Amino acid sequence: MTGRAFAAVVEARTFSQRHTLVYGLVAAGLVGAVQPRGLAAPAFFCSLVGIVAALQQGPGRFPHLDLCEQSAPLFGRELARAKALVPCAIAVIAAAAYCATASLAGWREIPFVFAGTLAAVVPSTLTASCATLRAGAPRRFYLAMAAAASAIVVMTIVWARQPWIAAAFAAIAAFLALRQYGEALARYDPV
Amino acid sequence: MRGASFGTGDDLVGPLDVDVRAGEHVAVVCASPHAAAVTARIAAGIVKATAGNVSIGEFDPRVQPAHCKHIAVFVPHAAMPLPEMDFERYIAYRAALWNVDRIRATAHAKLVLARLEGVHEAFAFPLAGALITPATMVVLERPQPAYAAQIVAAVGSRATFTTHLDPATAEPFIADKALRR
Repeated sequence: MTGRAFAAVVEARTFSQRHTLVYGLVAAGLVGAVQPRGLAAPAFFCSLVGIVAALQQGPGRFPHLDLCEQSAPLFGRELARAKALVPCAIAVIAAAAYCATASLAGWREIPFVFAGTLAAVVPSTLTASCATLRAGAPRRFYLAMAAAASAIVVMTIVWARQPWIAAAFAAIAAFLALRQYGEALARYDPV
Repeated sequence: MRGASFGTGDDLVGPLDVDVRAGEHVAVVCASPHAAAVTARIAAGIVKATAGNVSIGEFDPRVQPAHCKHIAVFVPHAAMPLPEMDFERYIAYRAALWNVDRIRATAHAKLVLARLEGVHEAFAFPLAGALITPATMVVLERPQPAYAAQIVAAVGSRATFTTHLDPATAEPFIADKALRR
């Protein structure tokens, strides 16, 4: 996949999800202003934004974009990277908005919480992307895993106080989820 | 396609035996919209047949799907939602996906659009987007029979594979030499 094709997929998908981006940004900003303490609130809220954005990439929501991408000479893994970037970016922007308004409300631990939030939202969003290509019990299982990934990162940081272990877990979970999404997209039959 | 089928039981589509040679126009009459959609997607290498063999050029869609999509380009039946993108952005998007030069693609698409005069934009844009690619076969899922003359003129010397629900709608898309099922 060329960089141009990657950028085109990201741009088209971002444009089609612009409403989700704005709603996520505004909602995260508001929640950050009223609930500015602790890691759990931004991590879980922004993971939820990422999961919703990932689910919107599922088949049928933007059928013409789906068909253009499926009929183009692109490999599943390459397409998965481009498609997965959009919900991750939406979740990261939501996390930034949350931390920005929380800092205005007087919170002082912004860099640490922002990093912890990113570690929670990225694996949960990528795992939720895998759910978009499945139905029934497997879909629910992937959604549960997405929520669990976020919870594990938060618990590891807040209770176990092991941020490096949380970061390693997030990196491994994100890598596996992205790889799984690519494999599923390559095998997916859109009928 | 040799004995190509998809699905099982009541949802079984096929088996189909079809050859499309260079420049040929082939129309397949299907029993249902679902069958027409699946058949067109199999021909374009988007859906992999669950039984039988499919070759697009020298490539097997199960093994080399990206290579197949360099040869066959797909045009869906559904109208394109126009608010999604304007014409130039849409062509730039399609050109980027196929790694075609954007300026040449836009110029080519405008020529195609001129040939598609009278065709509603929601159907003309996807066809123009397909025809900027170097693909040698155009696969059309249930194309609109009202626009058959313009579509055949726009496709030109490329091979076409179209799916339909009845022979009357297939008739305008096939030339004298065409194979029809």
